[in-house]
Amino acid sequence: MKIVATIYKEFLLLVRDPGGMTLLFLMPLALVIVMALVQDAPFRDYQEIKLDVLFADLDHDSLGTRIQQAFHTSPNINLVENNDTAVVNDLVHSGEFKAAIILPADASKTLRQKSNRVINDVLVNAGLVAESPRPVELTGIRITILFDPVIKANYKQVLSAAIEKILTGIQAEWILDELQGQLSENKPGTKKIKPDLSGLITIDQTYASENAATELELNSVQHNVPAWTMFAMFFILYPLAGNYIKEREEGSLLRLRLISGSGLPVVTGKFAFYFGICLLQFVLMILVGIYVMPLIGLKALILGSNITGIIITACSVAIAATGYGTLIAVYFKTPQQALSFGSISVVILSAFGGVWVPVYVMPGVLQQISRFSPLNWGLESFNDLFLRDAETILILPNLLKLIIFGAVTLAASIFINKSRTVS
Amino acid sequence: MTNAIVQVDNITKQYRGSPQPAVSNLSLKINEGSVFGLLGPNGAGKSTLVMMMCGLLTPDNGSISLLGMNVKNKGAAIRKQVGVAPQEIALFPTLTAYENLFYFGRMYGLDAAVIKERIESYLTTFDLKEKANSRVQTFSGGMKRRLNLIAALLHQPKLIILDEPTSGVDVQSRNVILDFLVELAAKKTTIIYSSHLLAEAERICTHLAILDAGKLIVAGTPGQVMDATPGHENLEQVFLTLTGKNIRD
Repeated sequence: MKIVATIYKEFLLLVRDPGGMTLLFLMPLALVIVMALVQDAPFRDYQEIKLDVLFADLDHDSLGTRIQQAFHTSPNINLVENNDTAVVNDLVHSGEFKAAIILPADASKTLRQKSNRVINDVLVNAGLVAESPRPVELTGIRITILFDPVIKANYKQVLSAAIEKILTGIQAEWILDELQGQLSENKPGTKKIKPDLSGLITIDQTYASENAATELELNSVQHNVPAWTMFAMFFILYPLAGNYIKEREEGSLLRLRLISGSGLPVVTGKFAFYFGICLLQFVLMILVGIYVMPLIGLKALILGSNITGIIITACSVAIAATGYGTLIAVYFKTPQQALSFGSISVVILSAFGGVWVPVYVMPGVLQQISRFSPLNWGLESFNDLFLRDAETILILPNLLKLIIFGAVTLAASIFINKSRTVS
Repeated sequence: MTNAIVQVDNITKQYRGSPQPAVSNLSLKINEGSVFGLLGPNGAGKSTLVMMMCGLLTPDNGSISLLGMNVKNKGAAIRKQVGVAPQEIALFPTLTAYENLFYFGRMYGLDAAVIKERIESYLTTFDLKEKANSRVQTFSGGMKRRLNLIAALLHQPKLIILDEPTSGVDVQSRNVILDFLVELAAKKTTIIYSSHLLAEAERICTHLAILDAGKLIVAGTPGQVMDATPGHENLEQVFLTLTGKNIRD
């Protein structure tokens, strides 16, 4: 009954504290929505972003036309033609366009000549045609790609790879065309065909998930909802420590210490209440991920099928977060110390833990450090559950770490509290 | 012969970093049913002594027993029969008077029906019944002080320790509190009353102890204390003679 009374008392204190309610529920919901929106573009870099690229066609021949045709079907690049190289240069330099392709004059002619030379050399070598006198040495075609200095390396890679792929295809086609032309000269009546080079090799892209039907991927919502949910859950320390220290300063905690047998029920009741609040935060944030995100143009959060695993993970994170909050509350003597240290430590743990940016994009050293962040243990578990549809047994090591972390911090809190009660 | 409900034997307590002990080789005996005034200027060692009686501080030397049990190893059992009203308003400001008292009643391990009955009775006695459902943060200083006292009485302890129970209250509230304490003492509840207010002590205390610089200066009934320092008209004059007129911080 003492524990229930403490839980009810904590409930009353919280519902009568508008600031605390805002901090616990409204702020995290706003945070997760804002962060998902802000990080939506970076997460879509490789997948959905369509980049406008200037195209200066100084060739005015078939190579330029072929390049335009090829990019027409590209999901990532939209060519905007402008043949004035000075203007193109200015537009990229000013940042209005992130990149430009400049196809030099006579590029088609040079490519044809080079193809002709290559085929001729092959046929001469095979003894199929007589060696003809070599015209002047041909220089290579130099296609220029201009980049805005602020362009991300990812975009540079995407654009360069796309151009290279297109040119390789065109080159192959023209060499084949030239080969057929020279063969037909030596063997009149040979019908010239246009070989279909597409589909010789296809690449199937899929995710190594058992839940392939849902086509899961790490998008902004899949990353930000669990990440900021955990951040909010660890921020439970703010009202927890604030209320605890306020009770200590006002003297109500002293009165409770003077009541026999109240120590454990008070700590347990507080822990149980804030544990419940953590779970409530989790449920609300997940519901926002599922139902609110699509309303603002983002993808809906996909949970995977292991609901039991999700519940266990949420409970484990709640234990770790509440334990940490209790330790901060008990250890520090003033609200300023507790709240400053507590909030900054959660920000640091979240940064190392992969809340702000995924761990895999961090430098190697930080990736090693991230293994020690409880937020990383939670986030990895949620990623395993949501994206990889993992069995609970696979996330057990991280869950154990979270529970042990919670138990150790809570035990330390009880020890510190007891040692300060009687001095 | 009256039983000693509090027995303090040669206790000393020195805080870390402090050049002087807060309490030095102090011995006291408080009999059952008495209203014992613990008097002294600031820094005399009253609060340290009270904290040690409650088991929140451990003496460096000596022993304290309350209700026949040693505080050192029977703290929990003792606290069940002791009510403490600290000098701070040890209540939750955003809870109502009723919610505060009900919560503390629960923590004392009382049944809901018993708590309700006692809350009703005490709120009536202390003229707070109409404010039962008002939040404590809206109360005046006197109302808070009365509620603070009720919270220490809910489990009907045998021994009540009051630290400045009338601090910052108006004359009316003070009168209600003091009358109640006299009434309580008549029912054989022992009261330890720590205060600066010597007129109050003179009015309600059956026994007194004056402390200064951690040492016991004098102890006995008010009459015995007055007799021990002849030539004074009231307790305040005795107090100033014994503890000096220098301002203490």
